[in-house]
Amino acid sequence: MTAVIEARGLTKNYGATRALDEVTFDVEAGRIVGLIGPNGAGKTTALKAILGLTPFSGELRVLGLDPRTERDALMREVCFIADVAVLPRWMRVSQALDFVAGVHPRFDRAVAETFLKKTDIRMASRVRELSKGMVTQLHLALVLAIDARLLVLDEPTLGLDLLYRRNFYDTLLNDYFDKQRTILLTTHQVEEVENLFTDVIFINHGRVALCASVEDLSSRYQQLTLVAEQAARARELQPFYEREVFGRVAMYFEGRSAAELGGFGELRTPSIADLFVAKMQGPGRP
Amino acid sequence: MSTTLADGAPESPRSEAAPAGKSPGDILRALVRRELWEHRALWLAPLCTAAGLALVAAIGRIHIDLDEASQLASESPRVALFSIIQFVLAAPLYLVALFVGSYYLLDCLYAERKDRSILFWKSLPVSDGLTVCSKLLVGLVVVPFGVFALALLAHLGYTAILGVRVSLGSLPPVLTWSGYEWLRTEAVMFLLTLFAVLWWAPIAGYLLLVSAWVRRAPILWATLPFVLGPVLEWVAFGTRYLLGFIDYRVNGIFGILGFGRLNLISRHGPHHAVGTALEVLDFRGALISIDLWLGLAVTAALVYAATRIRRYRDDT
Repeated sequence: MTAVIEARGLTKNYGATRALDEVTFDVEAGRIVGLIGPNGAGKTTALKAILGLTPFSGELRVLGLDPRTERDALMREVCFIADVAVLPRWMRVSQALDFVAGVHPRFDRAVAETFLKKTDIRMASRVRELSKGMVTQLHLALVLAIDARLLVLDEPTLGLDLLYRRNFYDTLLNDYFDKQRTILLTTHQVEEVENLFTDVIFINHGRVALCASVEDLSSRYQQLTLVAEQAARARELQPFYEREVFGRVAMYFEGRSAAELGGFGELRTPSIADLFVAKMQGPGRP
Repeated sequence: MSTTLADGAPESPRSEAAPAGKSPGDILRALVRRELWEHRALWLAPLCTAAGLALVAAIGRIHIDLDEASQLASESPRVALFSIIQFVLAAPLYLVALFVGSYYLLDCLYAERKDRSILFWKSLPVSDGLTVCSKLLVGLVVVPFGVFALALLAHLGYTAILGVRVSLGSLPPVLTWSGYEWLRTEAVMFLLTLFAVLWWAPIAGYLLLVSAWVRRAPILWATLPFVLGPVLEWVAFGTRYLLGFIDYRVNGIFGILGFGRLNLISRHGPHHAVGTALEVLDFRGALISIDLWLGLAVTAALVYAATRIRRYRDDT
């Protein structure tokens, strides 16, 4: 497997605030990676570094290129939606297609038009006349039509209703993603998209708290739900986080076997959302 | 949990061969077209002005007040007057273009940061250098020479309208069309446009730099230093060097070309056709003026600075 992104010791300060602190991770081709962290954790800063939008220190190769010095070449292979609704408001839909077709060598206008036909977006409309959801659809139509190797999405569905969000991710998965492509995604709505991810990177206070494939998570982490009376004994196996759920206790373990834990109660692999909360609030947090 | 939806994704059906790249010329054309979509005042304002002048030509009264109206009895003064009117009618178009063009240069890099659309522009494979160049190209080539072409076409329109009025008898035949003088007047206007662009290029560069750099109030940053600077200098030292310098960088080209020697309209002597400027004005001297070329070097530096700021700025 070739690494699409190789980050070694990424560090970035905004004044006295350290936004990224020696961040190291790899993203391999053909993966859908969730970059997950609380507000202000450094997710957007990491994405900006990858996209060559902000200076930083440390080593970073994206598709073998340095985003600081080779940004123009990089942007032929990388697409990004930085935020909802950053399309220029004065632009007509047809102009957006014309413009991208005029500057992007990998843009296939027919793909974008086919996608737009399935929506309520009209070619003559200006972006300012579209709803937030429609602007995102338009941006998605542009992105789908670009044959890029890496797609970076920073909270692309923030503020959209459930239907738009669901459609967005379904389209991404069905019409865009394939084994040659890589998607890097940040979102707050982890529960909704966790089935999408092949890999997750948890980031908190500018540091990587966890970087693993979803397959690895199921062998590394266990969630044990048990009645309160059993809790004291289970605690001897050193869960890194626990919480109460409807009078029962949910405990989270790392590196324990089913044989060790099975006797106490119901055992399963934690969801990414649960694991995220456990990692962010457990004692091992940075 | 061990399998995700993404595992069912197909192998890429798309070809591995890289598609043919876009040449910088193609991209520049798309960028310029996009500027004209966004900043419609750049072409709407001169067009509306030209339409307004056409209306004046169609219904306006022309009042010529000369001491010796008999001057217009012969052909040569009528040709001169024709060329002067050709010149004067272009002036409003140029003034409007100067205004909207300056505002455009000041606004273009600021507006994309203000509405955050810069994140969209930057998601496309277009370098910051090419983007900033496209804006400079619009401000220094597309708008000035577009207005030159518009003035040319508009003048032919006015001439046709006035010709119809003369033939209908609603105007006295005081103008005489001369293809030769018409061409010479156009040549003068082309050269003046060219030298105005070359001389004022550093101002365009400064406007672009302000546009790329300031966080708010670009108009204040563009104008206040040139007001406060001379005032402070005068208060502090009692001198006016800065004012002299600013005056030179704005009006200096007229002195270099020798506008003082140009005498088109005189109340008592004969009028001269605008084309005489081709002999009177020192275009060659202006072209080899060191100050003109220094200004262009400064323009390059200012545009480079604006490009660097756009490339490395992170305030979105």
